[in-house]
Amino acid sequence: MSETSYSVLGLFDTPDALMQAIPKVRAAKAGTVEAYTPYPIHGIDDALGLRRSPLGGMVLVMGVLGAITAFGFEYWISAIDYPIITGGKSPSSWEAFIPIMFEVTVLFATFTAGLGMLLLLNRLPFFGHPVLSSKSIKGITRDRFALAIEAEDESFDAAAAARILQDAGAVEVEVLPAPDRSPFLTSTYILRTLGGIFVACVVAGTGIYTLTKWFPLLRPMVNMQDQPRLNAQKASTFFKDGRGMQAPVKGTVARGYLPTATGTQDASASLVNPLPRTKEVFAVGRKAYLNRCEVCHGALGNGVGSLTAAYGAKPANLQSQQFQDYPDGKMYWAIVNGKNAMPSHAADLNESQRWAVIHYVRALQRAQNAKDADLKVVAP
Amino acid sequence: MHTEPSAHALPEALIEPSLTVGRVTPGSLDDQVLAFPETPPPRQWYIGLAITLSALFTGLGFIGWTFYKGIGAWGNNSPVFWAFDIINFVFWVGIGHAGTLISAILFLFRKRWRNAIARFAEAMTIFAVMCAVIFPLIHVGRPWVAFWLFPYPNQRALWTNFRSPLLWDVFAVNTYFSVSLMFWYLGLIPDIASMRDRTTSKLRRAIYTALAMGWRGAASHWQHYEKAYLLLAGLATGLVLSVHSVVSFDFATSVVPGWHMTIFPPYFVAGAIFAGFSMVVIVLVVVRETMQLKNLITMRHLDVMNKVILAMSCIMAYSYMMEGFTAWYSMNEYLHHGFMNIITGTYGWAGWITISCNIFIPQLLWFKKCRSSYFWMIFVAIGVTIGMWFERFVIIVISLHQDYLPSAWRIYKPTMTDFGILLGTFGLFFTLVLIFARVLPVIATTEVKAILPDAQPSHHGDDHHV
Repeated sequence: MSETSYSVLGLFDTPDALMQAIPKVRAAKAGTVEAYTPYPIHGIDDALGLRRSPLGGMVLVMGVLGAITAFGFEYWISAIDYPIITGGKSPSSWEAFIPIMFEVTVLFATFTAGLGMLLLLNRLPFFGHPVLSSKSIKGITRDRFALAIEAEDESFDAAAAARILQDAGAVEVEVLPAPDRSPFLTSTYILRTLGGIFVACVVAGTGIYTLTKWFPLLRPMVNMQDQPRLNAQKASTFFKDGRGMQAPVKGTVARGYLPTATGTQDASASLVNPLPRTKEVFAVGRKAYLNRCEVCHGALGNGVGSLTAAYGAKPANLQSQQFQDYPDGKMYWAIVNGKNAMPSHAADLNESQRWAVIHYVRALQRAQNAKDADLKVVAP
Repeated sequence: MHTEPSAHALPEALIEPSLTVGRVTPGSLDDQVLAFPETPPPRQWYIGLAITLSALFTGLGFIGWTFYKGIGAWGNNSPVFWAFDIINFVFWVGIGHAGTLISAILFLFRKRWRNAIARFAEAMTIFAVMCAVIFPLIHVGRPWVAFWLFPYPNQRALWTNFRSPLLWDVFAVNTYFSVSLMFWYLGLIPDIASMRDRTTSKLRRAIYTALAMGWRGAASHWQHYEKAYLLLAGLATGLVLSVHSVVSFDFATSVVPGWHMTIFPPYFVAGAIFAGFSMVVIVLVVVRETMQLKNLITMRHLDVMNKVILAMSCIMAYSYMMEGFTAWYSMNEYLHHGFMNIITGTYGWAGWITISCNIFIPQLLWFKKCRSSYFWMIFVAIGVTIGMWFERFVIIVISLHQDYLPSAWRIYKPTMTDFGILLGTFGLFFTLVLIFARVLPVIATTEVKAILPDAQPSHHGDDHHV
């Protein structure tokens, strides 16, 4: 747009009058000719000699750019930066990217059409134009048509321009002052702000992306972890004893740990091992024995375990005659209640494990005191 | 360029009747339409606003209850994880489609009758999409982190899944809202400039000055403006078809029987236009009567709208029949079971409401008498609105409540909260409609001025318009 310093406005009552005046006013070559109308008038572009609007090309370019941006972004994320297989498709399968590509294309294109028209081509908002503060503007945005001769340089003659307009049929003529180029909220200001926001977004985005790669331990939002609950050993003001977790009620029995062999050892002597002597039971007994008994009583049951030397007490030699004759029930009582330095194993072994251990101890005793008859049993 | 006696050579039936009743000039149009914001609203307006605001606040209360209590406040439960929230979302997005159709597609088809109703329809688009987006937001359970839906670099080092139709929805609905808003605002600028120059109140003048961005009606501006409007119309046309297609992908790309069908995108788009036009008819009849706009929104407008509703009803009938045909012809027992559920199952009543309201009742519009009677057109329009809501109920709830695993079948029952939030969105929609009707020009005066008789230079005889 040329730098307008002065202009003259002529008003017309009908679009016909306006259209007939345009060629006459243009022929006078007194300055730039511009029309102001309440709605678009057909054929006025050609009459005023306006060039075709470049908006179509701008929208095409930005639309294509939108498509490329969306596709590139989707491909980079889904196939390169965060490859993830969905629905058995390869991370680089692109067909599912099309809907978003289309939407982003439309988004870029419409914003170019709308904002490009307003901010770039029409240079709006602009509140300092003299037409806006003229007397004629009430008619222009209602039902009247104005033709303006705007100054191109210092040689502009307002009186001559007014005469030209009157000769062309203008019913009223108004002389306008130069535009007020005050900096308040202009299209340039908005464009710069939008550009700044865009740059800030790109910088912040890349910055955050890079930073999270360097400092992956920064805690993101942790709504799922920070829950109002008590962990097992935490203190609590809810209970009188100040503990978050309460001890079980006295006398509570855990499943599979019904108290047995509660009397004296002699009273327990009559208990009978309820388990059959099968391969599986011996396997359970062997495992339990090796876990719980071997360190003291030794792998052979002879009282020489891996810890015996370092330990003050003398563990029982289960191979001795005394223990070979010991009833199963007394041995069971010793496992449950402990004996001498031996602690109770009631908490470590459940009932069937204890009886399985006893079967295993009997097997150890028999293996260490094998008779010829035993060989016959093993031989096929 | 063109043959001289153009209009007179046409047969009678093809000559377009006048778009306005009585003598309308650009000046009288401004005095009629732009005067509303300057006059105090009548008492009925305040009563209407009180009703819609009560509905809105009821809905807000129930949304608050949902936030406090969690999604358990709703009736959704396995296997019906999508219920009122998604039904209402699809319902409202669909309502919005009529506005874009009127403002964009009919613009490209050079249907000049659209000019008088485009502004209101576009406004309804924006309000309906605002109602729609509430539902996915509260449906996610923790709406304060709903921005996680967007792909942005974050501390969790996660990206969104671009192969998910739900993400396509995020993009489609957001694009739709931004584009509709821009389209609407661009159309408003010249009208706001007119209001700026006629108002006597200083405050109004300041607000309109800022909103009109210094629009001065320069011919060089109009040239770019018209180009932008044309481009936006073309882009919005593609967009409006894509938005409801993408919404239908939420269903069609899954393997749920009754959802997994190729007919879904066109079927959803037609249904959206169907529901949207009905809502526009309801609102236009009220606006026409209460705001004395009978000379601008004529019976002819309503007649044409009703014809569009009738045409869409026929497309819906075809779609429903095609659904039945697919179920039968595929010989797929799950599909067959799903279809039989619609017509004979526990929710069979919902299926029959859908079919009656969307197919049988609109057939009344074949009669000119019904197309020109307020009672019958409102009857049909309300029927279609109810029918289209139930159509989404049928699609979502009936398909989900009995799918492949009979042990997981369950009857879905909505709660008070579900109904309360639905009521709230109706409150929001009509509150915005009422406010819009009093503060902005309800008719695109600039566009109507351009198609009035003698609006264009006489030596330029084509029937071009804005």
